Parts: sequence; structure tokens; C-alpha cells
Amino acid sequence: MANPIEPTNGAARNGKQSAFRPAPDQQPEEEYGKAYDIRLIRRLWRFLVPYKRLFFSALLLLPLLQVCGLAQPYLMKIAIDRYMAGGDLRGLLGIAALLMVAVLGEAVSGYAHYYLTMLVAQRSLADMRVAIFAHVQKLPMSYFDRNPVGRLVTRMTSDVDVLQEMFAAGAMTVLSDFVMLVWIVAIMLYINVTLALVSLALIPPMFFAINFFRHKARRTYRLIRERIARINGYLGEAISGMAVIQLFTREEKSYREFDELNAAHRDANQLSNVYEAALYSMVEAAGSVSLALLLWYGGGEALAGAIGIGTIVAFKEYINRFFVPLRDFSQKYTVMQSAMSSAERIFQLLDTPIAIDNPPKPIVPKPFTGEVRFENVWFSYKPDTPVLKGVSFTVQPGERVAIVGATGSGKTTTIKLLSRFYDIQGGSIKVSGVDVRDWDLSALRRHIGVVLQDVFLFSGDVRTNLTLGESGVSDECIAEAVRCANVERVLSRHSDGLGAHVRERGSNFSTGQRQLLSLARVLVFQPEILVLDEATSSVATETELLIQDALEKVMEGRTCLVIAHRLSTIRNADRIIVFHHGEIREMGTHAELMQKQGIYYKLYQLQYATDEAPKPVDDDTAAKL
Amino acid sequence: MGRLWTYVLRYWRRYVLGALCLLGTVSLVMWIPWLMRGAVKVIEQGGSLWDVRYYAALIAVAGVAQGVIRTFSRAFIFNAGRDIEYDIRNDLFAHLEKLPVGFYHAQRTGDLMSRVINDISAVRSLLGPGILNFVNAPAYYLYGIVLMFSIDVRLTLVALLPCPLLMYAVRRFRGRILKSSLSVQRQMAELSSHIQENLSGMHVVKAYTQEANQIRDFVELNRDFQDKNMELARLRGLLGPVMQALAGMMILLVVGYGGWRVIRGDLLIADIVAFIAYLHVLAWPTAAFGWMLSLIERGRAAMERLEEIFKIEPAIASPAVAQAVGNGKQGIEFRNVSFAHDGKVNGEAIIKDIDVVVPRGRTLGIVGRTGAGKSTLAQLIPRLYDVSSGEVRIGGRDVRSLSLGELRKVIGYVPQDPFLFSTSLARNLAFSRDEVSDEEIEAAVQTTRLDRDVAIFPEGLQTIVGERGITLSGGQKQRATLARALVADAPFLVLDDCLSSVDAETEDVILRGLRSAIDEKTCVIISHRISAVKEADEILVLDEGRVIERGTHQDLVARGGLYADLYRQQQLTEELEHID
Repeated sequence: MANPIEPTNGAARNGKQSAFRPAPDQQPEEEYGKAYDIRLIRRLWRFLVPYKRLFFSALLLLPLLQVCGLAQPYLMKIAIDRYMAGGDLRGLLGIAALLMVAVLGEAVSGYAHYYLTMLVAQRSLADMRVAIFAHVQKLPMSYFDRNPVGRLVTRMTSDVDVLQEMFAAGAMTVLSDFVMLVWIVAIMLYINVTLALVSLALIPPMFFAINFFRHKARRTYRLIRERIARINGYLGEAISGMAVIQLFTREEKSYREFDELNAAHRDANQLSNVYEAALYSMVEAAGSVSLALLLWYGGGEALAGAIGIGTIVAFKEYINRFFVPLRDFSQKYTVMQSAMSSAERIFQLLDTPIAIDNPPKPIVPKPFTGEVRFENVWFSYKPDTPVLKGVSFTVQPGERVAIVGATGSGKTTTIKLLSRFYDIQGGSIKVSGVDVRDWDLSALRRHIGVVLQDVFLFSGDVRTNLTLGESGVSDECIAEAVRCANVERVLSRHSDGLGAHVRERGSNFSTGQRQLLSLARVLVFQPEILVLDEATSSVATETELLIQDALEKVMEGRTCLVIAHRLSTIRNADRIIVFHHGEIREMGTHAELMQKQGIYYKLYQLQYATDEAPKPVDDDTAAKL
Repeated sequence: MGRLWTYVLRYWRRYVLGALCLLGTVSLVMWIPWLMRGAVKVIEQGGSLWDVRYYAALIAVAGVAQGVIRTFSRAFIFNAGRDIEYDIRNDLFAHLEKLPVGFYHAQRTGDLMSRVINDISAVRSLLGPGILNFVNAPAYYLYGIVLMFSIDVRLTLVALLPCPLLMYAVRRFRGRILKSSLSVQRQMAELSSHIQENLSGMHVVKAYTQEANQIRDFVELNRDFQDKNMELARLRGLLGPVMQALAGMMILLVVGYGGWRVIRGDLLIADIVAFIAYLHVLAWPTAAFGWMLSLIERGRAAMERLEEIFKIEPAIASPAVAQAVGNGKQGIEFRNVSFAHDGKVNGEAIIKDIDVVVPRGRTLGIVGRTGAGKSTLAQLIPRLYDVSSGEVRIGGRDVRSLSLGELRKVIGYVPQDPFLFSTSLARNLAFSRDEVSDEEIEAAVQTTRLDRDVAIFPEGLQTIVGERGITLSGGQKQRATLARALVADAPFLVLDDCLSSVDAETEDVILRGLRSAIDEKTCVIISHRISAVKEADEILVLDEGRVIERGTHQDLVARGGLYADLYRQQQLTEELEHID
């Protein structure tokens, strides 16, 4: 899987939190530890528990699979030594029938084992994906400020995939592989002790040789994974920063850097090819040499008639079956290792504290008044740089309050705190008389409609963007919202109406259209409190008028807390709060503040003058409407 | 596929050597059952022990020799595949570097990445294991069939009875597995984009308490994914056992029919032993047959996808005969410039008929609302995009007549998106050149007021800035990108709203420092704040791609138009900033 490198999320991007913050998770993504970490396996097991019947059925098939496999050489021995040599056709046919049963048995039980294992794997890993996704939904916004989207996507996709690979590669059955080795040795000893010892003579030296190569191979596997990860990282960055590379004509330099990573990756792979080829060939050679030993020492006994030809055939088979699992073990080991490190990362994410969670006894105050009260609120994103310094104000139910202030004065932070996207460090925020930290979190948020500057649309259609997938929203309700928020005009340009396709991040809608849609979204959800961060970016005049009209209707009858960028919003507000450097400096009605001749006075005068400046376009467009 | 052959031909020696070694290996491997037959024959017919031992010794020799040669064959062929993978990846990267910015806007990063990583891997599998098996399987079959026929024709025919079934199974599975694995991939892509979107829109999800609905949707997609995976597992899981069973049937036929003939006395047990051994050897290429076919198909599809990118001609490239950058008095000129993304200037053009000259050493300011076309205009200078009509000249020459590299070397550009690489701050600042002195970096750090920030970074200039500069604030990133352009020390400087996240006071200090640093340079400064362009020799006010006002600061303020509006807003912000 490709590892999508995505822009970082949230506040880290808009630069509101200045100063240095160490990057989370700076260590390389690939780390290698034990192949079997009992602590991790125990936690993985919890995901298997619901499917333990299937899992044990799969395990129970293993002995059957092995018996069917191991019986074949033995049956062949009997067929040759007893019946062919003895000239017993009936017996031969009987053995052939048994052999057929063994062959079919091996195929069927092999398939059943694989199928059941994959069923368990798919189901439990699907559960795991949901568990991660559900956990991530609960993480506080501050977590998303710190962690790039791409990394979280990797947890739910690639990392879970690695675990699936563990099942598919049969890494879980390493133990049963060893059981089989023991069986093979036992059968060989049972048939003929001397011959068994002779043909297994190569096993001790082979064991060391395989171990040696396995060790080498494992090191190169690790290198390969690290290096491909580096290529991935470099490439993602180069693609996103291609304009910069081209502007500074650094194509050659980047090429050289890429070439270096690419060559390192190739070299590691070529080294690993050599090791693997040697390992593979050695095992094959060992099989032949063992056969030679068998004939060399067994030849006499065979000539003397002490052992049959069938025994030689069977031994040859058993020797082959002995070396294969040994050869594959190194691959399984690597798969296990990366599975463990993926599991580690997944559990680390699952262990991330939710931080902002429902209180033990969540309160849902009734009746809901819609009053908002900030009492001496202190807040900072990072220690020592407070963004809000003792902010206190109250918004009466149904009151329309405008928040005014320069960039960085703490306006946006204030409205984010109201919905408890972040928890404050001092003071209290009360909605309807109850501290937001005592509220039932989702009930609180359902009372508050938030419209942020940068309207986020999901890909899909307009309808789901209005309802956000909430079931039980009536068509009338949507139609009403669409009408009130002037979305009709947006839709008139799209042929499918509410079914109009919305591209990723709503890129096929203009800024103004997106704002109208977000207002309609509020009307669908009918929250009692409206929190609005008016967009600063200007939109076409025609759309602007539509937005103002829609805004007026959306604000009607709601408690409104608006970060005002429009003059009309300020004018129509019941009260204005002036933020400055994280503090409230002025508060009052428009008239009171004008009289004060302070910060607001200046602001208003200048804004007023701006708005009164003649704009010939306005009249034209207004006439068109 | 033509391209693929050129790569393969580049390493033909290794492929030929590898193939020869492979044939050697196959010969030796197929010799061993023959030798075993000889040994068994001696036992069966009662020869001397040393005759048996003679065969045993030969088997040991063949076995070891086979191992050695096999190592070489695999190393040759697999490593050639790795070399080609490396070559293609490098070539693709070099090609990507030539493609203009417009290409990247139309592409998703993840998609491109998957081509460079996964598709090339698939091609490599075709060229390594694919080619190996391509030589291996026919060789084994040919040897096997000839040798078996030479032992006994009728037994061979009986043993090969399940062959049609085998071919049928391979054919049936091959297409279905490929189709199924493609659908798994598609579903995976869908799942990841759902996750990605959910995470990017987390603030909306939380604000509207849509967590449960999001999980519900995810569960649904996830279930689909699980089903598709299971379908693939069913097919994959079935192929192996089916092949295994068919191979088992062959052996069974040999034991049954051959045994009967042994009993009748017209066949030796030794022949049966040899047959069983041959069938065992053939089992693997048989089982791998389906896998090999899917390797080939997948590799071909991947190569086609790569070819799609390779064959895109860079829309913006140096002319065949490039002129040198001129020394004309006119620094930067826009001559009746219009621009639209589709090239059709009649429709929704982003830039419409812009005509302006910035004399050498002078500064042009450009202001306007978001979406007015300011950035696009700036991007036309270093040819991130090409004009749709008209021309952009630099030093008196059309930018399209210059070598792309030369053009861009004379322009210091600060893009709006402050992109930094995940390396140290120092290396980011020195990005423009190979050799940059500490003094030059220090000077740029001073000018952009990064010095105070650097002082509190844990490792100063050597601090790693993280993916896209995640560890820096927006203002810090912007100042770093400005410093990077200053270090480049080019005679032309284009600043695209590069101080928007910097507070007014710092901006003021930076602008003052900048003025002396850029005294000699020809500058284009784009800003949504008036303060940055106030001192420019000429200021353009853009609206919907057109120049609606132009002149000096004083002229424009006096005109009382959009510029004057923006200016008043600016003053307000500044005044407010100064109240404590």
C-alpha cells in the first residue's frame, strides 16, 4: 500500500499556535523488536475471542492436514514394498484408494484450514479497524492538530494489512510446523533407525547453515523495509513540494538524493536475493545429498533385502518435507516481526487517552435556556503562552453577540472552547447554567451549531452534506433549510438538485456556495445556539447578498455568538464584545461602545467608512436579484 | 511495452547468463531421478553395492552442483529485475520532475506514489520471478515429458491424464483471481479515502456529533472490504489445494497403473520411482503456473499505467534553442497577458489582458481580494504555468525563449504555500544552492527575523522542521520560505503573499530589512495587506483577473476605490494591534 502523505490537520496549519512544538512520533515508522511479544499477542487475542470457535476449528484441522500429508510417503512405501514387490494387485488397489483419500484429505483440509484462518483474520481485523476508527472519533481536536492525517490512515489500513499478512503467511502455525518436524523424525526412526540417523545426518550442519543465512536474510529484510519507507517518504515530499523543487531548479539535486535512496534499496534487495537464492539452493542440495547418503548406506541393506525400495522412496519424501518448513521459517519470522511492530503502533493509538470525554455523571439540563457564560476563562494550547487570559462574559438566551478583535486576539479559540473541542485550564464555561465539562458531550454539541470560516464538505452529494448522514431528517425539513439558506440558487446550476455530486473537500463549489451550504446544514440540525466564524475571504457580490440574507434567517430566534467580519453583523448585534490580546477590552451595545471612543470606535469608524465607499457593482447585482 | 524491452535489453547479458544457469540447474535436477532410477534398478535386479554407491555419489555431485548453479541463476535474474526496478524508478522520478505544476494539481499524491512504488514493484515481479518461471516451467516440462516418454510411453500418457483438468483450472482461476484482487484494491482505496476525509473534517464531525454516523458508514465500507477480501482468500486458497490434488492424482495413477504393470512384470519398480520423482519435480512449476500468469498480467497492467505517465510530454519545457537571460532595462513585462487553465481565454479566464512593465530594479505591488488572480499572475513569471495569450518577458526576452533552468535561477520565488522539506532548517534555507556560507544564511535569518525563533529551537538552525514544516508556526514557515528565497540571491524576486501569517509589527521590521536587501532587485510583491506594497513603484489592484486600479500608493489612496478601502482596513488592524 502506498502511504499517502497528507497535509497536516487543523490548527498546526493556520499558524495560530506560534512557537516551537516538537513533532510527535518523530522516530522512524519501522522498528523491529521481538517476533513474539506475549503482551501484544494477548491483546491481539482479544480481537480473536469472538471468533475463537472458528479459530480453534482451523487449528484442529492442522493435525488432520499433517496426518494426510505424512501418510502419503508411508502408503507409497507399503504400495511398493508390500504389494508391487509382492505382486498383490488387490492390495495395491486398496492402498491406491487410501492414497487417494490422503491426497484429497490433504487438499480439502488444507483449503478448509486456510479458509477458516482467513475468515477469522478478516473478521477480527475488520473489528480492529472499526475499533481504531471509533477510538479516533473520540480523540480530542488537539490530537489532530499534532498528528498528520496520513499517519492515522496508515494505522487503519497498512498496519492492519500487515497483521492480515501474518495470518495469510501461516505465521500463526509455526508451532505446528515444529510438531510436524518431530513427527517426521519419529516416523523415520520407526521405519528404520540406522537409515533415519544416516539420512538425518545433514540436519545439524544444515540447521546451523540455515540459521546463518536466516540471520543474514532477516537483517536485509529489515533494511529493505526501512529503505522502501524512506523512498516513500522522500517521494511523497518531492511530489507535494515539486513546485519548490522546480522554482529553485533543484531537480538534479533531488534526483541525486532520490537515486541514492533508490540505489540503497536496490542494494539491500540484491543482497537479500543472494541470501535467499543461497538458502533455497542449499536446502535443495541438502535434499539430494541426503538421498545420496541414504543410497550409499542403505544400498547394502536394500540389496540384502533387509529394506525395500519403498522405504527409500518414503525416506526421500520425508527428507524433502523436513527441509521445507525450515526454509520458510525465516520468512515467517520476518512477517511476525513486522506484525508485532504494527500491532504495537495500533495499540499505541488505541491507548491514546480520549482526554475530552463524557463525565461520569453527564448532565443534560432541562429546560435548555441557551445561556452561555464564560467565567474567568484561561486557556493555552501550549504551556506558558496563554491565548485567553481571564475571559468573562455572558450571552443571554436569544441574544445576538458579535465578537470583534484583531487576528490572534482569541476569538476563534473562544468559540472552539464553547463546544468543548479543547478543555480550559482555568475558570469555567457554562451553557444553560451547567459547566460544559459536566455536560453530556454529544447533547452539548447538539445544542450548538458551528459554522467555521473554512467550510468543510464531504465528498458525496449535497443532501448528505446537509444531513451528514443523520437518519430521520424529513425531506420537508431539508427543503425548508435549502429554501431559507438560499441553497436553491446554488443547486440550480447543478442538474441533480440535492443529489448533486460533491467532490473531495467540496472543490466543485465556490467559497460562497460552501458557506450557504453550511448555513443550510445549521437549519437542518436546528441547534439553539449558533456559533459562527464569518469568512474573511470575499465572495462575489451576488453571493454575498445571498449569504447575508440567509444569515439573517439562520440567526433568527437563536442565541448567537458571531465572530464578525461583516459590518451588517456588527450593526445587527445586540451586544459587541471586543477581544484584544486574549482579553475582553470592551463590551456593550453599539451605541455604548461608540460613546467610549476606544478600540471599537476606531474599528467601527474605519469599517463603516469602508462599507459606505461607493461600489458600483453592488447596485447592478442588487438590481439583478 | 516497448519501453520495457529497452530496459530488459540493457541487462541482456545477465538474463542470458541467468537463463543458461537455469537450464543447467534444470538439467541437473532432472538428472537426479534418472540416477535414482539407476540405483534402484541395481537394487531391484541385484547388482553390486558399489554400483549403487556409484549412483549415490553422482546424485550427491549433481545435487551440490545444482545448488551452486541455482544460486547464480536466481541471483542473476532476480538482481537484473532489481536493477531494472531501480532504473525505472529513477527515470520516472526524473520524468516527474519535468512535469509542470498543473499536472500535480490534477493528480492525487497517493495515486502517483502508488505508481512509483507499487506499479514498479509489479513490473519488477514480472522481470524477476516472472522471467525466471517463464524459463523454468517450459524447461521442466519439456525435460520431464521427454524423459518420462523415454522410460515408458503408456505410463506417461496415463500419468498426464489429469493435465486437461489442470489447464482448465489454471484458466478458470487466473482471470478470477486477478479481478478479485483488483476489486480488493479498489475497496481499499475507498476505505482509505473515507478515513482520510473523516479525519480532515473532524471538526465538523465533532461539532455536529456525527461520530456514530461516521462509524456506521465506516462499518459498512469495512464490511464490503472484508467480503471482497474473503472472496479473494477463497479463490487464492482454492488454487493451491486444487493444483496439489491434481498433482497427487497423477502420482496416484502412476502407482495404480504402474503398479499393475510391475505386478504383470512389464515394468520395473525403478521406473515407477523415477516417475514419482519426476512428477514431484513438476508439481511446483505446475502450482506456480497460475501465479506466474497473474504476475505477467499484473506486471503488464502496471507497465501500462506507468507508460501513461511516461508518455505525458512536459507541457512546460526549455525551448530547443534557448536564449540567454537578457540584460534589458525592462525587468519584468506582462504584455497583454491572459490566462485560463484550459487555455481558452474567452471563457472563464483567470487573468485577463494584463499589461504592465516593471523596470529593472523597481518594485511592482499587486493587491486584490482572494481569487482575484494575483498568485496566478506571479506563477506566470517563472513559468509554473504558461500564458494562454500575450507574453511575459524578463530582461527583455520572452520567458518561453529562455532555458527553464536559467530562467528560474534568476528568480527568487516565495510561494504562497510555505512548503518546507522535513530536514533541518539550515538545509531548507540553503535549498537553492549546493554551497551556501553560514554568513549568507545568518543574513537571511536576520532579515526575516527568524533569529529570535532559532534561538529557542532545541537545536537552533539544525532543528528538523518535520513533515511540511509541521513543527513550525505558520508565520515561522512563511519567514523561512522568504529566507530561503533571499539566500538564493537572484536578481528578480517574487513574493506571493508571504507574510500573511506574520504579525504586523514583525512584518514591518521584515519589510524594512527587506528593502535594503532587495535594493538592486526587480521585485513583484503580492499581498493582501497594503503595508507590504505601500512603497512599491507601481501598484496594481486586481479584481476578477483584471487590473481595476493602478498607480502609486498616494494615487490609489486618493482615488478612493478598492485600494483605499483595503488601506483603511489595514490601518484599523494596525491601530488595533498597537493598543495594549
